[in-house]
Amino acid sequence: MTALVRSELQKLFTTRLWWVMLLVMLLFTGITLAVTIGFAGVQAQGGPALPGRGTLEFQQAAWTAGAGSSIFVMILGIVMMTGEYRYQTITTTFLSTPRRGRVVTAKLVAGLLVGVLFGVAALLLTAAAVIPTVLIAGGEVALLDGGVPRIMLGVVATSALYALFGIGLGALVRNQIAAVVGAIVWVFVVESLLTAIPALQDVGKFTPSGAAQSLIAVEVDSGFGAPDLLPAWAGASVLVAYALVFALVASLTTVRRDIT
Amino acid sequence: MRVMTAIEIRNLSKAFGPVKAVDDVSFSVEAGTITGYLGPNGAGKTTTLRCLLGLVSADGGTALVDGRPYTALEHPLAEVGAVLEATSFHPGRTARDHLRVICTAAGLPASRADEALEQVGLADAARKRVGGFSLGMRQRLALGTATLGHPRVLILDEPANGLDPAGIEWLRGFLRHLAHDRGVAVLVSSHVLAEVQQTVDNVVIIARGRLVHQGSLDELTGNGERPVRVHSAEADRLVPALEAEGARVERPGDGVLRVYGVDAETVGRAVLDERVLVTELVRERSDLQAIFMELTREA
Ligand SMILES: Nc1ncnc2c1ncn2[C@@H]1O[C@H](COP(=O)(O)OP(=O)(O)O)[C@@H](O)[C@H]1O
Ligand SMILES: [Mg+2]
Repeated sequence: MTALVRSELQKLFTTRLWWVMLLVMLLFTGITLAVTIGFAGVQAQGGPALPGRGTLEFQQAAWTAGAGSSIFVMILGIVMMTGEYRYQTITTTFLSTPRRGRVVTAKLVAGLLVGVLFGVAALLLTAAAVIPTVLIAGGEVALLDGGVPRIMLGVVATSALYALFGIGLGALVRNQIAAVVGAIVWVFVVESLLTAIPALQDVGKFTPSGAAQSLIAVEVDSGFGAPDLLPAWAGASVLVAYALVFALVASLTTVRRDIT
Repeated sequence: MRVMTAIEIRNLSKAFGPVKAVDDVSFSVEAGTITGYLGPNGAGKTTTLRCLLGLVSADGGTALVDGRPYTALEHPLAEVGAVLEATSFHPGRTARDHLRVICTAAGLPASRADEALEQVGLADAARKRVGGFSLGMRQRLALGTATLGHPRVLILDEPANGLDPAGIEWLRGFLRHLAHDRGVAVLVSSHVLAEVQQTVDNVVIIARGRLVHQGSLDELTGNGERPVRVHSAEADRLVPALEAEGARVERPGDGVLRVYGVDAETVGRAVLDERVLVTELVRERSDLQAIFMELTREA
């Protein structure tokens, strides 16, 4: 099985998409960080001031920046699956490993590893931005306390699990464009609305991104009121449940299908 | 070396909805021989091969490699190599990386990738992305992929498609070498008999999903008996007169008669006596292509 996982990673790292996605993900995280840093301490109109750059609250908020990267990991997961159908390399893959369940498992494991890698990359970028910012502002850097480890773990776990969502969705849909567009619409439109509009948050908190937000929730009053979220443990369970469902979908749709 | 049936297909059937792509087909391929799997487009060749390779699940029957279903092979690439469509490569991956990915999955040393590239004459293009390859180069790379694990059985689906005459000549030599020197069992499909005629030892012919002939090339040419072919709108009227002369008459349809056991002059005399208008009267040559067309023509 380790050979198969290595083969899947090799597939990913011998084409260009992974580093394009990595760059876009870092760019996205960077923009989020820039906004967070730029607006720190700013007084919203009529509202309370956002926490200043030296505060723990600022650091907590900044550390969540990497969470937005999960969509890129999901797209990578989608491509890991749909690319095989698009270029018909699935034939070669199944010829060398006719027990298809093993191929799916190897993809899921490889996806998890890549998700972790992306999550860690986002954290490193965050560290590079947050630590100097806090020091310059004369604050005390919090890394192992103040809820920061939980947020870091949340960012990495979310990233890893979104890779599985992508692989499952890709196995189900198989058409690369349709799967990618579907994922983007879901994350940026459907989930954004469900988690942002208070009346819909009863549903929204059970969506993948709603559950993911509960892992990295911080008490920052942005003037919109605190969002209605699950407790972190429940959010984690919901995310893992989604990942299992997507993994199951990936297996069931791949094992029996005729490759013509 | 153990003599065993390398490929054995027994009563294989597969339907796609209402289309019976493969209908109760049986044949076998022995080690050290090249078998041509022939039939017009849509005959069911690809479906048969994909069933054999575990890519398509058969509705009935069995397809075995070395006595086992493909999906039960522990190290499939070390036993079976396959060349299917020409396009199954990621265009952004280099030829070498393509092979290395497979080496990793199959537990083969990465050095096999370079050896295989050398063997199919792609060593110079090893580090080029496959997206820039010609069809012929892709076919070579596919062959390199198929032979990575030094398999004892080689299955090729229309490998000559897209090859130029020199490429086809190279392919023939490559297959002959593998079969006759290395004892590999080769099954190669084609819709053009002439493409494989000079290479194959045996032929299996399929049309509309059904097997229509299996045997050696010599058997196909019918060692000798060459019928007289008559075409006439009034062919029916000729039959009694010919049979009175002791001829055996086949009627493949469309006003065509194939007359065995008498010479062309006897047939001509019957035409004269019966005052039938004929548009063709010729002693058939043992033209493989004609036999192939005849065997596989639409009913
Ligand atoms: N995935 C599929 N779905 C529906 N029909 C198919 C599929 N694959 C093949 N067929 C049909 O099965 C028949 C045999 O096709 P195929 O095995 O590709 O023939 P060949 O390789 O001899 O040209 C054809 O009628 C073809 O249209
Ligand atoms: Mg075909």
